Amino acid sequence: MTPLEILVAAVTGTPASRIPIFCNLLDQGARELGMSQQAYYANGEHVAAGQLKMRERYGQDNVWSLFYVGKEAELLGCNEILFSEDGPPNVGDFVIKTYDDIAKLEVPDDLTAHPAWTETAKCLKILTDEVGATHPVCAYLTASTTLPALLMGMDKWMELLLTGPADVRDELLRKCSDFYQKEVAAYRTAGANVLVYSTPFGSTSFVGMKRFKEFSMPWMQRDLAPGGVGSIVYYCGMAPFNNVIQQVLDELKIGVYYISPLADLAEAKAIIGTRGLTCGVIDDISLIDWTPQQTAAEVKRMCEIGMVGEHFLFGTGVMPLDVPEANIKAMLATAFEYGKYTGGSS
Amino acid sequence: MLDAIIKAYNEAVFETDKAAAFAVVNAALADGMKAEEIVFKVVIPAVEEMMSNITKDPDANLAQHFMTAQIAAEVTEKMLLKFEHPPEIIGRVVIGTARGDLHSLGKRIVMGCLKALMVDVTDLGVNVPAEKFVDEAIARDAQVIAVSAMMVHTATGDGGARRVRQILQERGLEKRFKLVVGGAPYRFDNELYKTVGADGWASDGVNAGRIIIDLIKEVKGEVMPS
Repeated sequence: MTPLEILVAAVTGTPASRIPIFCNLLDQGARELGMSQQAYYANGEHVAAGQLKMRERYGQDNVWSLFYVGKEAELLGCNEILFSEDGPPNVGDFVIKTYDDIAKLEVPDDLTAHPAWTETAKCLKILTDEVGATHPVCAYLTASTTLPALLMGMDKWMELLLTGPADVRDELLRKCSDFYQKEVAAYRTAGANVLVYSTPFGSTSFVGMKRFKEFSMPWMQRDLAPGGVGSIVYYCGMAPFNNVIQQVLDELKIGVYYISPLADLAEAKAIIGTRGLTCGVIDDISLIDWTPQQTAAEVKRMCEIGMVGEHFLFGTGVMPLDVPEANIKAMLATAFEYGKYTGGSS
Repeated sequence: MLDAIIKAYNEAVFETDKAAAFAVVNAALADGMKAEEIVFKVVIPAVEEMMSNITKDPDANLAQHFMTAQIAAEVTEKMLLKFEHPPEIIGRVVIGTARGDLHSLGKRIVMGCLKALMVDVTDLGVNVPAEKFVDEAIARDAQVIAVSAMMVHTATGDGGARRVRQILQERGLEKRFKLVVGGAPYRFDNELYKTVGADGWASDGVNAGRIIIDLIKEVKGEVMPS
């Protein structure tokens, strides 16, 4: 079976030899090609080459079309990205500095015609040509309720959300939701087959349950309605969200859940059961300091919890550059060893 | 009457209802309560109550932290204008996000709480070089340097808290300033603050106020280090 077939089997609960194994290596690609982050991310061919080389080196199932999270801000007018050799690029200048800028914010009619999309398209073309038929090709899309943080900063967004004028807030959310709808369509057309829906406000670590129901849920429904939830992964950054999985299953019908390392994996698995795919996510900050033996023990523990009843994927967050290569190898070797279904899945 | 005011104010803060909190304060002022009493008997105990509640409440969330700090800071700021005598400042803090980091929410929550707790806070902004943290701490005669970092590389890299510690060592300033850190990476690894050379950390912005006040007192010699 190809990694893509293994992923589909895990989602649908059909027999497979093993679980899908994801490892999200992004900035490591520049190191892999021996170039600076800025040079690496300037060209979609570099990013695709980095992804393919890292998949070859480590053997994980997935590749990524994501450059850095600020790419979405660039599509909405951000002209300054802060690059670092130690970690991910950051939005260097916010598009929205005053509430007046919200009225001026324009969602491009055709995202794919935007210069900031060009390199992403180039990267996706290479990845889909090379491995798209056999491997998961991931894309990262920020929910309407979270995208404002990239456009105006999280504190200004919190201020607008919690104390600002409702009409201004809703205008911004509408634009961000429109953007999401266009973006997800563009990624689907370009061949991405795993669409990570980043929605931290879909966790009650960000807003309370009342606001989750009255604010986050309706906007998520608006984001997802036109394109549907096929290939969508519910992801709240690293924030736990076990307490809303039932509602998300019922109301959004999303089938894949990327569980926080801070959450109880067994509890998440029990809630989701066979109705979707539970993704166990290793704590990749601790992975920086663990030994390979500690790493392997944690992967084994997660597999033992998650593989009961199948419908399980092993994954990572966005791996920090400081995670030692020995730990990446130990993690993946253990996942492949303990992620096997003996005699095929039942 | 005081008990009823405290109860109503605490409920408003817990529900992140700024308008309701201000309504309680304004009604208390109209009833003849002094601004000093509002700050010291209502606002500061409410921040302390909130610190305790947030720690215990599994549903406590970022929005609640943010609003607790904002309401407390805004009420305090307005009340200070009505004080008969300027209040005694507990101490001084310089705060900013580490070099390469533009995430400002955590910093803002900490600042709001510190202001309400009568700590003088200087906001150095985002993407702050390590040298600036130290230079500004000296210039403002601060007791504590607070470095916020939301990403692993800005928390652990050579341009953030680690470098601040190094500068303090090089300049012989370690007894004069305490160094605190905060941000997401420290929540995943509770010992990480030691790795980067900090004297303390807090799991959230609200509780950071308490940690920082303890460190201010330690620098001032008001309490012995534990």
